[in-house]
Amino acid sequence: MKKIFILAATALLASMTLHAADKPTLTIYTYDSFAASWGPAPKIKEAFEKENNCTLEFVPSSSAIGSLRKIQMEGAKTKADILLGLDTSIAQTAKETGLFAKHGIDTSRAMLPTEWGDDSFVPFDYSYFAFVYDRNHTQKAPDSFEALVAMPKDFKIVIQDPRSSTPGLGLLLWIKSIYGDKAADYWKSLSPHILTITKGWSEAYGLFLKGEADMVLSYTTSPAYHIIAEKKTNYLAAKFKEGHYGQIEVAAMLKSSQHKALAQKFLQFMLSDTFQDIIPTTNWTYPVVKTKKGLPEGFLGLKVPSKMLLMDGKKVEKERKSMISEWLKAIAK
Amino acid sequence: MIPGLGIATALLLFALLLFATLYRFSSGDTLSSIDDRILGLLRFTLYQATLSTLLSLFFGMILAWSLAHQRHFRGRSLLVALFSSSLVLPTLIVVFGLVTILGNNGWLNHLSLTLTGHSFGSWLYGLSGILIAHVYLNASFASRSLLHSFESIPVEKYRLAKSLGFSAWQRFWLVEWVAVRSTVTSSAATIFLLCFTSFAIVLILGGSPSYNTLEVAIYEAVKIDFDIAFALKLALIQLSISTLLVLLSSTLRTGLGNLKQESTSVTWKEPRYTTLLQYGIISLLAAAFVLPLLAVIADGIGADYSSILTQPLFIRSLITSLIIATVSAILTVLFALMLSDARRTFQLPERMSRTKGSKLLGLLVAFSGNLYLAVPSLIMGVGFFLLSQQFEAPLLLWAIGAVLSANVLMSLPFALSVIAPAMQKTARRYDRLSLSLGLTPLARWRYVELPYLSASIGYIFALSFALSLGDLGVIALFGSDEITTLPWYLYQLMGSYRTTDAAGVALILMLLVLGIFGGIPRFFNKRT
Repeated sequence: MKKIFILAATALLASMTLHAADKPTLTIYTYDSFAASWGPAPKIKEAFEKENNCTLEFVPSSSAIGSLRKIQMEGAKTKADILLGLDTSIAQTAKETGLFAKHGIDTSRAMLPTEWGDDSFVPFDYSYFAFVYDRNHTQKAPDSFEALVAMPKDFKIVIQDPRSSTPGLGLLLWIKSIYGDKAADYWKSLSPHILTITKGWSEAYGLFLKGEADMVLSYTTSPAYHIIAEKKTNYLAAKFKEGHYGQIEVAAMLKSSQHKALAQKFLQFMLSDTFQDIIPTTNWTYPVVKTKKGLPEGFLGLKVPSKMLLMDGKKVEKERKSMISEWLKAIAK
Repeated sequence: MIPGLGIATALLLFALLLFATLYRFSSGDTLSSIDDRILGLLRFTLYQATLSTLLSLFFGMILAWSLAHQRHFRGRSLLVALFSSSLVLPTLIVVFGLVTILGNNGWLNHLSLTLTGHSFGSWLYGLSGILIAHVYLNASFASRSLLHSFESIPVEKYRLAKSLGFSAWQRFWLVEWVAVRSTVTSSAATIFLLCFTSFAIVLILGGSPSYNTLEVAIYEAVKIDFDIAFALKLALIQLSISTLLVLLSSTLRTGLGNLKQESTSVTWKEPRYTTLLQYGIISLLAAAFVLPLLAVIADGIGADYSSILTQPLFIRSLITSLIIATVSAILTVLFALMLSDARRTFQLPERMSRTKGSKLLGLLVAFSGNLYLAVPSLIMGVGFFLLSQQFEAPLLLWAIGAVLSANVLMSLPFALSVIAPAMQKTARRYDRLSLSLGLTPLARWRYVELPYLSASIGYIFALSFALSLGDLGVIALFGSDEITTLPWYLYQLMGSYRTTDAAGVALILMLLVLGIFGGIPRFFNKRT
């Protein structure tokens, strides 16, 4: 019995100690689907470690905002060097914690639908929020927010919590930018259609694929995954007349990082062709750089919204709390 | 007695320290700034706890009544044992089983779709799901205590009632209700407190945040919003209410007792329709209880175990969970023994109960063992987190401390209710003998207490081991890549794509918990 305990304790300790100390380890906090074995992380790790003599470690949370909160909980003792996966809507919140350093790199390679001028955060991909449905299951998907609330009562959607998830926050802002002062009323009428509100994107998408809901809040580019990886064409993004809210995903390094030079190298690496070519078929979003290789074929057939709705990050931060409490009140039962 | 008093003082000081920490960090405007949202949270928390309590008592009562009158059918003892195991059944497993059966894509909907082409849809998320899960866990718990009260009714009373020609209803109202009433109120108080602070069930089935309890709102404020000020405000409100409830109900809760005791028999030949009714109730509720567990098995059997068992994260979670559960169980046993020792000293007339102040001290000792009901584990977690911000030790150490304390405090009330009566008995029986033999305290433990108590010790060790192994509470605050337990790992899996892995891990967790809960006491019994 004693032996087992000693063995177990040793195993626990061994599993908790960090990797060999001869190479520096760059630790990146990010969301689960980015760090997953099917996500971008493994390929990025391989490519970056080959170019730089280091170990790249991804530490996942159920959402990027979750990673931010983890860093806030750990404070200056955090072992994170980089936080990857926030978007422009929440980046300002992160900035105001004072935990993030200036990136100091040239971001002009990034070609985005909007100007880029942030000095802490570096963009690495973008997409548009959209509801995804299964054509075999839902014949006529809604084509606007009005049509969505007019769907039959048992038409259910899964969304994400705007407090914990960037898509969830995106939907909140999407609806706010269309309905303005009447957003709360819209949420009230949408509320009966909401099956559940998840902490992060993965959980919501998993519920949808399991058949628990008819539609899920995801991206216009999500169908590319089913087309390319699964050869399935029955998953579609519902095009909304009002336009689609955009998401630009970003990363930044921590002031408390012990490997700032390496962290800066990584931020620069994010804008390289190597990194950008990995993004479309692992994170299922658009790269921010026009690479030599270009977009994979599955992406070409996707409809690109003509206009990207996007609120200014500073404005979002100023109103985030009041928007969220308005939302909480509207959906409370 | 001295170590017991020491433990009790330490526990109470610990609670005070937590309270002080929470209070010091909060802005102090708690009461003045209660807004609509907080009121709404409070209303829903109380509402669901009230409904859950009433429903649990109703089902627990009819089940206990039926079981008390049907004493001779095959599998009865197995059934009763199974119902008692609900005490340690991880909430996560119950939720998993319920979703498998009642979820949008569950068995019920599939059956109904095939038969009638109609689907009930996804009604499980929300109040109904919370109620079902609460009733599932608490009705079986209540039925166990109630059954014991039914069985302790003296046979003479039944004989008298029978000679007076009472109907089943008259018998219930005039004989049985009077006897079980105190158990009803004490179970009601306990169940209400448990539902008031319910966490994992509301977290998963609440369809957050439409249906939130205070406990989940505190969790979200910390983990999602990092709004520590709001979390503190909620925590202080929650703490005040639950302390008030514990104090108010301390006269009601005569103890969580009757978890493990033998019983006498009721002799009454039932009329046919009553028998039918009782069998109906037993089979329906037994089916309702067993089905979710079967669903976990059925779902888990198809999982790919060669992939699950080789996941490094799974192995780490398992080892961490086993170590934490072992340490928690050892601590719980030690604490329970020492607290019970102190308690009997203050309670027994042969010892010190007539000494001045011993009543108060006895009460303090008793309260320290029931702290958990007043200080929910999540609030303790928040306290630990705040302390971690103040001191330089890494968060990981605080996390382990928080999980261990939560486990011990959670198991103590149950452990005490089993071991305290047994230790009172040994004191009554052997005090004089030990004294006259001049046994040293150590020798007394070795030759008098241990042989007599080993079965109970085995039981509370298993109970607290199983409870600690299956709990998803504090770990939700601290769970990360650095520390993860099996329930936290399962929760993560449930929230991701890998649902077949989740089913496999759920089955492993369930078998582990039930196996340990059923197996360890046997091991202890054999030794005596």
